[in-house]
Amino acid sequence: MEIALLAFFAVGYFVLAGADLGVGMLLPYLGRTPEERGRVLGSITPFFLTNEVWLVTAVGVLIGAFPVLEGEMFSGLYLPFAALLLGWVARDAGIWLRGRVDRAAWRAWCEGAVVAGSWLAVLSWGLILVGMGDGFTVGFGALVAAPLGAVLFAAHGLALAGLRLDGAPLERARRFAGPAAGRTVYALTSGGMALVCLLAGARLPLAEHLADPATLALLTPSMLLLTPLLVASQVWLWWLFGRVQVRQ
Amino acid sequence: METLDLARLQFAVTSGAHFLFVALTLGLATVLAVTQTRATLTRSDTHLRMTRFWGRLYVINYAMGILTGLVMEFQLGMAWSGLTHFAGNVFGASLAMETLVAFFIESTFLGLWIFGWDRLNRWAHLGVIWVVTITAYASAYWVLVANGFLQNPVGAEVVDGTLRLTDAAAVLTNPDALLAFAHILSGALVTAGFFLAGVSAYHLRRGTAEQEFFRRSLRIGVFTTLPALLVNAAFGGVQFPSLQPMKTAVFGGREAEISRLQAEMVATHGPGDYIPPTAPTQISAMIMLGVFTVLLLVSALSVLLASFRRMVLGSRAWHLLLIAMIPLPFVSMIAGWVFREVGRQPWMVEGLLRTEDALSDLSPGTMVLSLIAFITLSVLLVAVNTWILARSARQGPEAPATGPAPAEPAPVLAF
Repeated sequence: MEIALLAFFAVGYFVLAGADLGVGMLLPYLGRTPEERGRVLGSITPFFLTNEVWLVTAVGVLIGAFPVLEGEMFSGLYLPFAALLLGWVARDAGIWLRGRVDRAAWRAWCEGAVVAGSWLAVLSWGLILVGMGDGFTVGFGALVAAPLGAVLFAAHGLALAGLRLDGAPLERARRFAGPAAGRTVYALTSGGMALVCLLAGARLPLAEHLADPATLALLTPSMLLLTPLLVASQVWLWWLFGRVQVRQ
Repeated sequence: METLDLARLQFAVTSGAHFLFVALTLGLATVLAVTQTRATLTRSDTHLRMTRFWGRLYVINYAMGILTGLVMEFQLGMAWSGLTHFAGNVFGASLAMETLVAFFIESTFLGLWIFGWDRLNRWAHLGVIWVVTITAYASAYWVLVANGFLQNPVGAEVVDGTLRLTDAAAVLTNPDALLAFAHILSGALVTAGFFLAGVSAYHLRRGTAEQEFFRRSLRIGVFTTLPALLVNAAFGGVQFPSLQPMKTAVFGGREAEISRLQAEMVATHGPGDYIPPTAPTQISAMIMLGVFTVLLLVSALSVLLASFRRMVLGSRAWHLLLIAMIPLPFVSMIAGWVFREVGRQPWMVEGLLRTEDALSDLSPGTMVLSLIAFITLSVLLVAVNTWILARSARQGPEAPATGPAPAEPAPVLAF
C-alpha cells in the first residue's frame, strides 16, 4: 500500500510538473518576444506550484514510510539532488518574480532563470532516476540517459503547450506533433513520463525498507484517508482554471 | 572547517532563511483571513482593498518561503541521513503528515485564492483563505512535532539501534512541540503586526491620500502586537523549566551546575564534551529577550497612541519609530531559534543521537560546493524578497474603484 501511495504521488509529479519543466526548457523556442514568452509562462503559472507539491508529498511519503531508504538515496545522490534543488528553485523564482518588476532587463533575467533552471532540473532528474537503480551512484548509464530524459520532458512540455497556447507559440508547439495532435499526444507523453517514473521506482529496494509496523499502523491509514481529499482539491483547481491565462 | 561544521552551517543558513519567511507568512495569513472575513461580512470596500494589498505582499513572501522550504525537506535526507536512519520511524512520519495534511492542501488552496478572486463567489473565496491559514498552522504544528521530538524524545524506545514508536499520543502532545507551537504562532503575529504597523506608518508619514486605509491597517497592526507579545512571552516563559538542564545551565552561566551535568553525561554516555557552545547560546538568548523588551515598550506606547486619531494620522516621530521596528521581530525570532538549536548541542536527538553521528558520509569537497551554492541561493532569495516586498509595499494599494462596479471584468488573471 505504501509503495502504491509513493508511486501515485511520484507519477502525479512527473506527469503534471514534468510538462511545466518541458515548457520552461523550450521557453525561448515557444516565445520569440517578451510578450509571447509572458503568454507561454502564463499558461503554466496557475498550476506549477500545485503540480510540484506532488513531489513534495512523494518525498514526504518516502520519509515517512521508507525513512532509511530516503536517507541513503538522498545522501548517495547528493550532488544530483543538490543540482535539482538549485534548478528547481531558480525556475520557480523566475516564474514568481518575472511580473513583479516592469523592466525589460528584469524580465530577461527571470526568463533566463526559468530556462536554465528547467534544464538543470530535468538533467538532474535523468541522473537521479537512473542512479536510483545503480546503488545510488552516478555511472555511465546515468550520463547517457540524462539527455534522453530531457528529450522526453521537452516532448511532454510541447504536448502541454499544444493544449494550452494559441497564436504563434501554438504553431511552434505543433510543428513537431502535427496539427491535429492535441490530447492524444499529451496522453502519449504522459504515459511516457509515468512509465519512466515507474521503471525507475521499480529498481528501488522499497519492500525491504518499510518503516516499523508501529509507525505504519498509524501513518498508512492517515495517508490513505487524506489522498482523495488532496486529489479533490486539485481537481477543483483544474476545473476552475483549466481554460484561463495569467498575465505575466 | 570540517564537513560537520560545513553541513551545520548549510542547514543553519537554509533554515534561518526559511524561518524569516515563515515568521511573516504565518502571521499575515491570520490577519488576512480576519480582514477578508470582515470585508465579506460587511461588504466594506476598505477591508476588501486591504485584503488585496496585504495579500499581494503575503503572496510574494509566501512564494519565496516555499522555495527555501523545499530545499530543507531534501537537505534532511541529503546531509543528515543518520537522523532518518536512527529516528525515521518517528521523525519521518511527522514530516510525512506535514506534507499531506498541510503543505499539499495549503499550496493548492493558495493557488485557488491567488487566482480565484474573479472565479469563486466571495464566500467560497473567503473559505479558501481560511483553509490556507489553518493548513499553515497545521504545517507549523507537524514541523514542531518533528523538532519537539528531537528536543525531547518521548513516545519511542530504542530497539536494535533504531527508534521505534511506542506511544503516538505522547509524540503528538509533546510539551516541547505544543509550547513551541504557541510561542512561534504568537511570535509570527508579532512579526505581522509590526509589519502592518510599520508599512502603514511609512505611508501615513508621506502624507498618503489613503488615510483611511492605512489608519485602519496601522491600528490592526498595533492592536495585534500587544496581546501577541504577551502570549508569546507566556509560552516562552513556561518553556524554561522544561528546557534541557544543560541549556538552562549554560544560559545562566552556572559553572557548578554545568560541571555536574557534564560529569553526569560522561557517566551515562561515555567520554565527550556535552556542553553547548557557550557564547552563541547566551548571546542569542539575550538578543531574543532584549529585542522582546524593546518591542513590548514600543507596543505598549503604540497602543496608547493608536487610540487617538490625530496621533495615528500625524505623529511623524512615532511613524518613524514604527518603521524602524519592522526588522526587529525577525531578529528576535531567529535569535530564539539559535538558542533552541545551538543550546542543545552536541545532540541531534537529545541524549540519544549526537549531531556528528547523524551526518551523511560526504566528502568535504562536495559539502563546500553545495554550501557555496545554497548560501548564495538563500542570500539571493532573502535579498530579492526584501527588495520586492519593500517595493510593493511602497507602491501602496490600487486606486479605489470609482464606480459601483468595474466596467469590465479582468480579461486575464493576475497575481
